[in-house]
Amino acid sequence: MRQAKMLRPLATAIAIGAGAAMLGTAVQAADRTFIFAYSATPASFDSDNWQAGMLESTVNVYENLTKHSIITDSTGREVIDSANVEPHMATSWNVSDGGRVLTFKIRPGVKSAFGNELSAHDVAYSWAMAADRKKTGNFMRTVGRVASVEATADDEVTFTLSTANAIFPRILTTVFPALVDSKHVKEFATDDDKWATKWLAKNTAGFGPYHVESVRPGEGAVFTLNKNYFSDEPFFNRVVFREIPSAASRAALVKSGKIHWADGMPIQQLVDLKKDPNVKVDSVPGTGMATLRMNPNFPPFDDVRVRQAIIHAMDYDAIGVAVFRGLGERADSILAPAFGEFHTASHNAGTDLDKSRALLSDAGHAGGLEIQLEYSDNWWWEEPLAIQAKDALGKVGVNLSLKRIPKAEMNSRRRAGKRDLPFFSHLANAFVLAPGYAFYLSAHQKGSSNVNDYKSDQFDSVVDALIEETDHTKRVELAHKAQKIHADDSTFVVTHFPKTYAVTTPCISGWLWHQHDRLVWKHLSCDES
Amino acid sequence: MTEVASTPAPERGFTWSGRALGITRRSPTFAIGLIIVGIFAFVAIFADVISPFGPIETFPHQVLLPPSAAFWFGSDGNGMDMFSRVMHGARFGFGIAVPSAIIMLVIGVPLGLVAGYKGGMVDEIVLRSMDVLRSFPSIVLALAVVAATGQSLVNVVLVIGFLDAPIFTRLVRSEVLALRSSGFVDSAVASGNPTWRILFVHLLPNAIRGSTAMIAVRMAWAVRISATLAFIGVGIQAPTPEWGAMIRQGAEFIISGEWWVALFPGVALVGIVLGFNLLGDGLQDLLDPRRKATGK
Amino acid sequence: MVVPILLGITFLTFMLLRIGDQDPVAMIAGPMADEAAFAEIERELGLDRPFFVQFGIYVGKLATGDLGESWQSSERVADEIRNRLPASLELLLSAVLLGALVGVPVGLRSAQRPNKLFDQVSRFVSLFGFSVPTYWIALMAIFVFFFLLGWAPPPMGRLDLASFPPPDITGSYLVDSILTGDWATARVAAGQLALPVILFSIIVAAPIIKHTRAISLEVLGSDYVRYAKSQGLRPRTVRRIALRNSITPVLTFIGTELTGLLASVSLLELIFAWGGLGQWGLNAILTGDFAAVQGYVLVLALFSVVVFVVIDVLVLLLEPRATLRP
Repeated sequence: MRQAKMLRPLATAIAIGAGAAMLGTAVQAADRTFIFAYSATPASFDSDNWQAGMLESTVNVYENLTKHSIITDSTGREVIDSANVEPHMATSWNVSDGGRVLTFKIRPGVKSAFGNELSAHDVAYSWAMAADRKKTGNFMRTVGRVASVEATADDEVTFTLSTANAIFPRILTTVFPALVDSKHVKEFATDDDKWATKWLAKNTAGFGPYHVESVRPGEGAVFTLNKNYFSDEPFFNRVVFREIPSAASRAALVKSGKIHWADGMPIQQLVDLKKDPNVKVDSVPGTGMATLRMNPNFPPFDDVRVRQAIIHAMDYDAIGVAVFRGLGERADSILAPAFGEFHTASHNAGTDLDKSRALLSDAGHAGGLEIQLEYSDNWWWEEPLAIQAKDALGKVGVNLSLKRIPKAEMNSRRRAGKRDLPFFSHLANAFVLAPGYAFYLSAHQKGSSNVNDYKSDQFDSVVDALIEETDHTKRVELAHKAQKIHADDSTFVVTHFPKTYAVTTPCISGWLWHQHDRLVWKHLSCDES
Repeated sequence: MTEVASTPAPERGFTWSGRALGITRRSPTFAIGLIIVGIFAFVAIFADVISPFGPIETFPHQVLLPPSAAFWFGSDGNGMDMFSRVMHGARFGFGIAVPSAIIMLVIGVPLGLVAGYKGGMVDEIVLRSMDVLRSFPSIVLALAVVAATGQSLVNVVLVIGFLDAPIFTRLVRSEVLALRSSGFVDSAVASGNPTWRILFVHLLPNAIRGSTAMIAVRMAWAVRISATLAFIGVGIQAPTPEWGAMIRQGAEFIISGEWWVALFPGVALVGIVLGFNLLGDGLQDLLDPRRKATGK
Repeated sequence: MVVPILLGITFLTFMLLRIGDQDPVAMIAGPMADEAAFAEIERELGLDRPFFVQFGIYVGKLATGDLGESWQSSERVADEIRNRLPASLELLLSAVLLGALVGVPVGLRSAQRPNKLFDQVSRFVSLFGFSVPTYWIALMAIFVFFFLLGWAPPPMGRLDLASFPPPDITGSYLVDSILTGDWATARVAAGQLALPVILFSIIVAAPIIKHTRAISLEVLGSDYVRYAKSQGLRPRTVRRIALRNSITPVLTFIGTELTGLLASVSLLELIFAWGGLGQWGLNAILTGDFAAVQGYVLVLALFSVVVFVVIDVLVLLLEPRATLRP
């Protein structure tokens, strides 16, 4: 690209100016502004409503009682430890009654941007709100088997679970439900909006490092540092969350140093940006893997031989090259390697055209088969993957017709109660790094993301046992068992991890990946030298 | 007026070339339009023969290559040969233009005939409904309908045909009104013709004369709007080699410099639309010299 | 007269949105939601009521100016429209102005000297404008003028990142920054406007050239002009008469074009990240944001109505003998 190379000081000056410029506020010379380009303005800061930019913002505003420990991996990189959860806004917790009762001590001096100190009442309030609203927060309540949440003292909150489980402490690392400054939020409650959800959608009241200052629909939002933040002060004291709908524009902007971070780069942009010396591209495998899902309740997918045949027919090398341009990582289980010991290579059936044809013939489809793959544009790889699938399946006599459906339709038909997509593309992220959670979500009959309606009592009982098991070795065993059962039932075509990428200007460092797969601003810094 | 001495014209047999030359002289626009459309029709029919590869044949290891001896128009994001795809895209151009034109006429013309002939209440109802349809921004309506009813080629064609029908209703209706005020209709009625006969045997051929040019223009528009819908992402499924869908993919790559994915389908699209437009203008010159587009 | 049409359009849109498989409930609920959550969201959005009840409630709210809330952004639809309409208008009106300022004289001149070189060239340009898809020419222009030549700024909206939006007077960044003397911002705004406006004005000019020419030819060939010529009036006067009589139909034509353009500018907005109404509306349709789509369609229809009224007034002013309904 024939663009003049931006001098660092100029870039920083523009970054500073831009942050303030965006919403016309005054600039202080000591401002260190981080400019984050995303495809939309955050539509809501309410973690119970899944709207554009919600998660990207809330993980930086709302922090919780616990967090994952940080360790160094074999490459010397800092990563979160999926196996270990440590205190964050709590100082410690007591487990009693066989793991069913957890009592957390609240850390003193944790204050929100409004100056109110975190107390057990805030925790109880937040959980009561989630229960009443019956959405994502409540889902977490159910999954974590939470029966009640009580403020037993100002600085002590007690959770009573219906059954002990390993998922619960990990839920407390997430923003579901978000820990709100109830004192401040209560001021905005009204008769028909007793939880002040309207206010919560457009404002933040968290104890985390950042706090929303202003939102300008169509342009973006500005976040400032929570001056009362209890933990280490982040490098950036201002974050401009800029709406730039076109991925190509975001790429152009980060190349010219006008923004610090370009989110959501499609693969071609990534290939291009990797070659550019003005841009730093980093990646982690993440937990989200690109899959094709088969719904065994719809023929011909009700025959396991057909499902296996399809899995064997796919050309995984071609997919790695044509779809993921060599930048993806081959997946071999429904659990990502990020789960450590719990992961085992279970879903690693490879390309085997002869076997595929034999299986099809066995199942009575020697003369060919007509099926349809439905896909949408929730993820960039859906269409290229669909095209490769069509090509590959054609080689074993399966005529795959492709049907592209709108996002809203795809999301609607994946719902519990509907689930009428026989063969389609999907990606699942595990927002909680617990294997039981991951299995439950994507394949348990009660799982909310069991989008291909997989029904296996055997699998369910193993997963239920896993969730309630406390012994580590037994848990690993159960996790492996669950993966093998699922692999044998062959309802997923597991392809690659598209990976999570960090596309930044060269000065940015400190990126730490979290399981929610969104950028956490507080770790970042910009090294001018 | 002075008398002009007239000499009898020399006897000349009718020849096709003579006729063709005559038409060309009267309207070069028509001739050019016809040639262009003809070329595209040829490509559409013989696409399989002139394409080096299949339109959805993928070469996974040759993704996004610039034009070369192997891939004359380069390869796209899925490793498919752009040249073959662009050639096959011509089929969609006609596959959409022709059926939607038929639907437009099948819906619009009878309505216009009836409204113009009957007048009164029937006329009012037809006009008002046409008004509602016309006030609806067409692309938005097309988008909403296709998004709601499912994304298939058939739906796109139906929607386009339906949307443009009011244009023909209006045209035919005004022709019918003009014809009514001449003695033409009255004499037909007086001879005891049943209504349907008057409508379809007497009025139709005359009323439709003024619409012929419009048909070509609406065909141009049909191709354009289906490409636009495909560009937005509704209607045509991947990996169908439709030009709008190809441009959609090409849009991603423009800023990173892979220009060939968007360029060639666009040129083809411009070409066929231009051809239909020229055809339409030319037809207007030939058939309706009063409202000449070329203004001789 | 206007109200029934608007009502009809609203009903049509309402129906279209609800007959398909598109329902935003799943999108709002997110990947971690159970049946209870879906039921709750449906109840909140009022989607659990029968169709006509929903329609009745919507129309009732419309009467009070409440267009509902966008599910994507949880902003009031009326606010979203108010925020984005100026951006679209700025682009649209600039392009129409430029297109008309260029197109009308060109069309007139073409009519005066038919089939000469000028006419041939202008007809070709006009035909080109008719046949070229807006979005494609925009992409090509971005490639050439931004990527290759570096003349145009990155296609990312109305201002670059280092500029303040000027105080809101007319809603147009360019006009407002000029009015407040902020020349730096004015220059940036103009730069961002340049490419999309020029492109769109070509598209706009095409039908204007063609129709101005056609109308003008008719007028020039008409009886009274020929009579005027035969009476020995100077060519300049004849031209002026022709112009006066052509203006009205040309203006009416521009009006009808304008109404359709507000919708077709949305693709340009998409490509240039303009932040205008069209971009928002397109996205609403694709994501099944019911209230937003209904509001968008209503605005487009209202815009048509307003334009027709304005044109009628202009025609009355210019041509006192003209009747309102030709």
